[in-house]
Amino acid sequence: MKRTVDVNIPLGPIHPCFKEPARLKCEAKGERIVGVEVELGYMKKGIERIMKGRPWQEVMFLAERVCGICSVIHNMVFIEAMEQISGITVPPRAAYLRVIANELDRMQSHLLANFSYCYTIEHETLGMYLLDLREQVMDELERLTGARVTCAYMIPGGVRCDILPENAELLQVSLDRIEKDLRRYTGMFADGPMIALRSRGVGILTQEAAQRAHAVGPTARASGIPADCRLNHPTYRQLGFVPDCRQDCDNYSRIMVRFDEVARSIALIRKCLQELPSGVIRGGGICKAGETRYSGEAPRGELTYFIRSDEFGRIVDIQIQTPSIMNIEACCHEMIIGADSIADVTSTFVSADPCIACTER
Amino acid sequence: MGYSLIWYLKEFARTAWIKKFLFAKTAPLTTPSYFRGFPEPTGRICQHALFCMMACPAPGAIEVVHAGNGWMPRIHKGHCIRCGLCVEACPHGVLKSGRILETMEREGSSLLFSFRIAIDPDLCTGCGNCATACPVNKQIDAQLGAGGHSSSEEVIMRVLDGDVQVLHEEKCTGCKTCETSCPTRAIQIARILEGTQQPPEGSGP
Amino acid sequence: MSLLQRIKNKVRARSIHVAYVDVGSCNGCDIEVLACLAPRYDIEQYGIFVHNNPREADVLLVIGAYTPGWEEKLAMVWDKIPPPKAAVAIGNCPISGCLFNRRETFVDPPVKKHIPIAAEVPGCPPRPTEILQAILSVRDSVFANWEEEHP
Repeated sequence: MKRTVDVNIPLGPIHPCFKEPARLKCEAKGERIVGVEVELGYMKKGIERIMKGRPWQEVMFLAERVCGICSVIHNMVFIEAMEQISGITVPPRAAYLRVIANELDRMQSHLLANFSYCYTIEHETLGMYLLDLREQVMDELERLTGARVTCAYMIPGGVRCDILPENAELLQVSLDRIEKDLRRYTGMFADGPMIALRSRGVGILTQEAAQRAHAVGPTARASGIPADCRLNHPTYRQLGFVPDCRQDCDNYSRIMVRFDEVARSIALIRKCLQELPSGVIRGGGICKAGETRYSGEAPRGELTYFIRSDEFGRIVDIQIQTPSIMNIEACCHEMIIGADSIADVTSTFVSADPCIACTER
Repeated sequence: MGYSLIWYLKEFARTAWIKKFLFAKTAPLTTPSYFRGFPEPTGRICQHALFCMMACPAPGAIEVVHAGNGWMPRIHKGHCIRCGLCVEACPHGVLKSGRILETMEREGSSLLFSFRIAIDPDLCTGCGNCATACPVNKQIDAQLGAGGHSSSEEVIMRVLDGDVQVLHEEKCTGCKTCETSCPTRAIQIARILEGTQQPPEGSGP
Repeated sequence: MSLLQRIKNKVRARSIHVAYVDVGSCNGCDIEVLACLAPRYDIEQYGIFVHNNPREADVLLVIGAYTPGWEEKLAMVWDKIPPPKAAVAIGNCPISGCLFNRRETFVDPPVKKHIPIAAEVPGCPPRPTEILQAILSVRDSVFANWEEEHP
């Protein structure tokens, strides 16, 4: 006689598929999951408390190290929030260079997320291809800013260094090569029968469920919600940016949305290089007192900084709202419940691209 | 699928494929010259302006120490985050890292410091620790540095009638010695940094 | 040294299993360790296999500044690893706390006072080439002579 047993399965802080420590306690009835409890708190360092009372040149590096994968966007949102408080305008050449750095960072983060997913469903070959492609993007980021990760490229009033004409040529050549490889790998992912077996129809997040759980970023865009903070940014509006959206709400469409965004980033960088205006790259400017709330689009969703500063430009109060908090909530309370087997829990969790370091700073 | 056995055998028998398979090597691992590594001395003479220590965001990463007859900045590798601010802030170009110095010369970009002194009158007790501890005060008037009173008008700050008065804010070098010696945390130094650019004549795209 | 011990030394130096533990970092160093797996900085060509199981590991990579969430758990993980073993600290965070070492923070650097560390790699984050050099130097200094030092 068959008997289903209620089990509590802990997916612990150290796990082959999670890169960061988080604990998922799954309650399962036989193989079917009925409930999930998330336990975070392994990475709390108190960054917001350290930031109080410090000027921008120290807070900028702390903000970058909230998350090392999406470090450029943390830098950009913090600096643009300080510029909004102090009324500093950025010269147009610096604004375009900022977009180039931001899109390069987005490309490498999406390729890393897709490598993580392919590694979780044991397709190591495609994962290694994507990781090799990511190395080419990191080369370009290093050529532009001088460092691979945590570049510290933007300061209030502009950027730190300019792009030389010969480096712009090399960037164009690199982008052509990256685009050709990307098309091949996207085809491999889209046509693979084993991948479709494990990704199509797995981890459904309907549009109502996504709105109820306030999902953001590619997780929401794969469920048909076309929300993207880059639509509110003047430079992106000038370049004519349109977000990518898909309608089937499973693992497969989340990964495909990321591939689409990489292709769109390549097109955006090409347009920036074509239309790059001439001029200075630093406009100067001193940070003043004020209070603001500023949002930007990180690779994982909407990132918001609430800042209050005093008359010397030092931070009095700061709060950071990162996208992974909402995505983990959407994942654990909507996507995993009702999953067909334990093996699908890890692949669904990784497809929502959680960044635990962002979630607890 | 139009792929037959003969096609597969022909694919694997290509010389290009066989050569790649037997002689594959990973690319040589070199660090590019424009990578922003740990700062290194250029050979210019350090003149103890201490702007590198003011700009460094990591605690305990850089300090200016005696080296022979003069001074030299020393970097602790376990603390330095390789940001390059000390290279940009030094007015004499004593440190180098990656291509930061060439970029500064070509574009005329620089980092400018200014320091502001803010004293909270409710917390200040008028003890005078800040005026005694300040190294610039000690240079201007040695009597004030030894704990006495000062009659000179050239010092940055001094105690008069039980209150601290700031006379010359522009002479402050931002070392924050007064902040660490204040018992009530009444005095605060703000290090204000601005990134500016003056493109040299006859250049630019 | 008998023939068996010589063979053991040689075999241990040629096949190393690596487990990594993130005790509260920003993820930059974590991603550079993953970049070592990439075909460009291929770490598997030296016989080094990166996975996440402490019970089968020889080298433990410690990444991050020690947060309060890992109070006694890191020592437990270190005890689970059977000898011969070595721990390598990657990045500035386990050496000195990097930027988080201020008065108001929750972290407790350095990691050296919680578990014994055999090698350190400074940098924030260090390049994959520097991480590779550190792991290979641990191989030469710790594993190649293990039988002589621990009879």
